Amino acid sequence: MNEHLTIGDIERIADGESQPPAHVRECARCAAAVLDAMQLKRAVRDAMRGDPAPASLRRAVRRRPSPMTWLAAAAAIVAIVAGALLIARQRQPGALAELADMHATLLASANPVDVVSTDKHTVKPWFESRLPFAVPVPDLEPPFRLIGGRVVYWRGQQMAYLLIGKGAHRISVFVSPRPIGGTEPPNVSTLTWDSGGLHCVAIGDVPESDLVQLQSVWERL
Amino acid sequence: MPERESFEELALPLLDSLYRYARWLTKNASDAEDLVQEAYLKGLRGFESFLAGSNIRAWMFRILRNTFLTSRTGLRAIPPLSLDDEPEIAEAIADEATPESEFLQRLNAEALGTAIENLPVEFREVLLLCDVEGMSYKEIAATLSIPIGTVTSRLLRARAKIRKALS
Repeated sequence: MNEHLTIGDIERIADGESQPPAHVRECARCAAAVLDAMQLKRAVRDAMRGDPAPASLRRAVRRRPSPMTWLAAAAAIVAIVAGALLIARQRQPGALAELADMHATLLASANPVDVVSTDKHTVKPWFESRLPFAVPVPDLEPPFRLIGGRVVYWRGQQMAYLLIGKGAHRISVFVSPRPIGGTEPPNVSTLTWDSGGLHCVAIGDVPESDLVQLQSVWERL
Repeated sequence: MPERESFEELALPLLDSLYRYARWLTKNASDAEDLVQEAYLKGLRGFESFLAGSNIRAWMFRILRNTFLTSRTGLRAIPPLSLDDEPEIAEAIADEATPESEFLQRLNAEALGTAIENLPVEFREVLLLCDVEGMSYKEIAATLSIPIGTVTSRLLRARAKIRKALS
């Protein structure tokens, strides 16, 4: 396998669709090409990320899913939809509330994490052998520190769980390939965001600004 | 049996991603907001047909895209000729189109943004789904209802165009 890689091979490697062949370790030219493709990918991601949805849109989608341009006839549908949403929300226990309960349960346990390490290079590979998706583990800087992680099960799915410390406070971060929503539970701060196709939920008894700060560390991954 | 999750629980966390997709499809903030609202309405109405446990993200992205394609801006955005008829470039060897690493070091964010904006919409969307949303080729293929081979060739050509625009 001493053939140089094709552009197609290089992009598949950079996109995580295939593993780099041994040739990449021996050939500086191909290794540089793979690195270059990864850098372009990252630059494109940063350029396309853009702003989050405006708060007005979030409110509209949550409560009144009605585009302003719609005809009056649509108003009837909207009323039904809003009613259905309200009923659905009342009937459905919030997913976030369930995760907040899990956060409290784990912290009350003698062993909240199965891998105890402040080093992402220990925690990340630990997950690799246990979960079907790659878990993003950030390089944390003070005031945050990594404490460890474990695999948790919730509603029949596997999720990665990372425990992060800030002073005496503990923050739980759940990482799932499936989106998690629901209404925010009282008494704790929660923040959800997407990272590399995965969905993250941070929960902790800290001000929400701390979670936003933590999220920004994730964004630099 | 676990209780079926509500539409809101599944779909609301996708709002930022859907809005971003709508922005890159329409290139206009207010059109994007309308598009997202309409997609949520359609998603809610069609939620009965959504198979629990299947991929809500691909499903919602597909609804948003179909809504866009049937809108006035969307009809204009469809190119008259298929973009996928050009000769294959995947087989080119690495160093022909690459890798001056300085190219990326002096890569100017603004110029990159312009280059992406100037791409045909089919190219912009595969880049977004791959590089920002982190979807696998398979998931992109399912979302856009195109073969995986078309996904890879659009990605290749989109990136080649960006490199050319920035060189």
